[in-house]
Amino acid sequence: MSSALITLDNIAKSFWRDDRAITALSPVSLSIQREEFVALVGPSGCGKSTILNMVAGLLQPTDGRLLYEGKVVGDLNRRVGYMTQKDTLLPWRTVTDNIGSPLELACHKTPKAEREERIRQMIELVGLKGFEKHYPGELSGGMRRRVALARMLIYDPETLLMDEPFGALDAQLKLVMHDEIQRIVGLGRKTVLFVTHDLGEAIALADRVVVFSSRPGRIKAVRAVDLPRPRDVFRIRFTPRFTELHEELWDELKDEVRKGTDA
Amino acid sequence: MLGTASEAGSYERRAVLLWRYCLLAVLLCGWEAYGRFVDETWFSRPSLIFARIVTWAGDGLAVHVATTLAEMAGGLAIGVPLGTLLGLVLGRLPLLAGIVRPIILGLYSVPLVTLAPLFIFWFGLGLMPKIILVAIVTFFLLFFTTFSGAQTIDRDLIDNYRLLGATRAELVRKLIAPACLAWILSGMKIALPYSLIAAVVGEMLLARAGLGYLLMNASQQIDMTGMFAALFILMLVGVAVGESVNWVERRAMRWRVLSN
Repeated sequence: MSSALITLDNIAKSFWRDDRAITALSPVSLSIQREEFVALVGPSGCGKSTILNMVAGLLQPTDGRLLYEGKVVGDLNRRVGYMTQKDTLLPWRTVTDNIGSPLELACHKTPKAEREERIRQMIELVGLKGFEKHYPGELSGGMRRRVALARMLIYDPETLLMDEPFGALDAQLKLVMHDEIQRIVGLGRKTVLFVTHDLGEAIALADRVVVFSSRPGRIKAVRAVDLPRPRDVFRIRFTPRFTELHEELWDELKDEVRKGTDA
Repeated sequence: MLGTASEAGSYERRAVLLWRYCLLAVLLCGWEAYGRFVDETWFSRPSLIFARIVTWAGDGLAVHVATTLAEMAGGLAIGVPLGTLLGLVLGRLPLLAGIVRPIILGLYSVPLVTLAPLFIFWFGLGLMPKIILVAIVTFFLLFFTTFSGAQTIDRDLIDNYRLLGATRAELVRKLIAPACLAWILSGMKIALPYSLIAAVVGEMLLARAGLGYLLMNASQQIDMTGMFAALFILMLVGVAVGESVNWVERRAMRWRVLSN
C-alpha cells in the first residue's frame, strides 16, 4: 500500500452553515494505486465530490491527511485533470477554443500547428465534428460535457478526476463514451477517480467500486471488479459476472439510496 | 415548411413596418392640423420644426452637434477607463472594497448633474466643465457594473482555470478580463445615454455652443419651434447613441446573444 498514488488517510470534512457544523464526510481511508480506475458510488450529498475537490487541492480536509505520491496535498494539485459536475466552459469561446484553452497556457505551451492537430483529434474523439465554431450556449447539456471532457484530456494529465461526467448523456452515447474513456485510460495508463450514481457505469469501467453511505458519508463497501480487460462496454452488462457484481453492490447501495431520499 | 414559416415571418415584419409608418403619419398630421388652430407663441408644428432644422443645418447646427458629441467623447474617455479599472480592482479585493464602497456610494447619492454649477465655477464656460460632468457620471456607472461583474465571476471557473495551470496573469488575461468585457459593455450601454444627459444639462446651465445651449437659447426667446427642433435633434442623437452600442454588442458578444 505504500506505493499508492493517492492516499486518503482518515480524512473528514465538515462545513459550517448557519453556525452549525455539517459533517459531509466522516473519517474515510482509501488508497488508490497508480493506473487504477476507482469508481465512487453513493447517494447525492455523501461527500463524493468533496473527495475529488480535496484530491485536486481545492478543499482541505478538516481532519486527517490526503497524500498524493506520498506528499500532503496542500495547494492546488496540478497533476490532476478535473472534470467538475458543474459546467466550467468559457461561454465566450467556441468549442475549438474551449478545448484548446489548456494548451494556450505557458505550462502546457504547444506550437500552433500541433495544437490545432490535437484539437482536431479531440473533437473527433468526443464526436463534436461540425460543432467547432459553436458557442457553449448553443450546445445541449450532453455536448457541453463532451467539450469539458475533451478539454481535460487534451493536456494529458496523469490523474483524471471525473464527477458524474456522463450524467447528462443519453444511454447510447453514454456507452460510446464509456468505450472511449476506457480506451484513453488504458492507452495513457492513467489513474482515474470517477464519481457516479450509476452503478452499472461504475462496474463496467472501474477496477474497484467504492460504495458510500448517505450523509455523513462513510465507506460502506469496496469491491474489486474482476472483469477481464479490455472490456466490451456494449456487451459486458449481459455477462453473468457483471450481474453478480451488480446485485452484490446494489444490496449495499439500495438502503443508502432510500435513506438519501427520505432525508 | 421552413419556407412558409419564414415567408409568414417576413410578411408579418412588413405588416408591422407598414402600420408603424401609418401611425407615425397620422400622429404627425394630427399634430400639424392641431397646430394650425392654436396660438403659435406657445406651440409649434412639424412643418415649422422641419423648416427650422433645415435653416439651422445651413447655419452652424453641425458645430452644436459636434460640441455636444465632443463633450460626451471627452468625458467617456476619462470616466469609462477609470470606472472600469476601479471596479475591477475593488471587485477582486473584497477587503479594500469594504472600506471604500460606502464612501463611493455616498458620493454617488448626490444627484450628479447638480454638480454642474460647481464645475462651471471651477472650469469656466468652455467644454471642460461638461467633460468633467460626463466623466463623473460615467465613472460611477462603469464602476458599479464592473464591480459587480468582477465579483460574480464564477469561483468554479477560476478554480478550474488555476487547476489547468494558469498563472495569475493568465487568469486575468484569459478569464477575468473577457468575463468583465460583458459587464463593461452593459455598463457602456447605460453610460452612453447618461453621457448625453450630463453633457446637455451642463450646456443648459451655461455654454456658448452645443445642443443644450440651442435648447436653452430657444427657450429664453420663447421660441417654441426652436425648442422642438432642438429636442428633435437630441432625440436623433440619443437614438444614434443607443443603436451604436447595440451594434457593438451584437458584434463583440455573439456568444451572449446566442445564449440568451
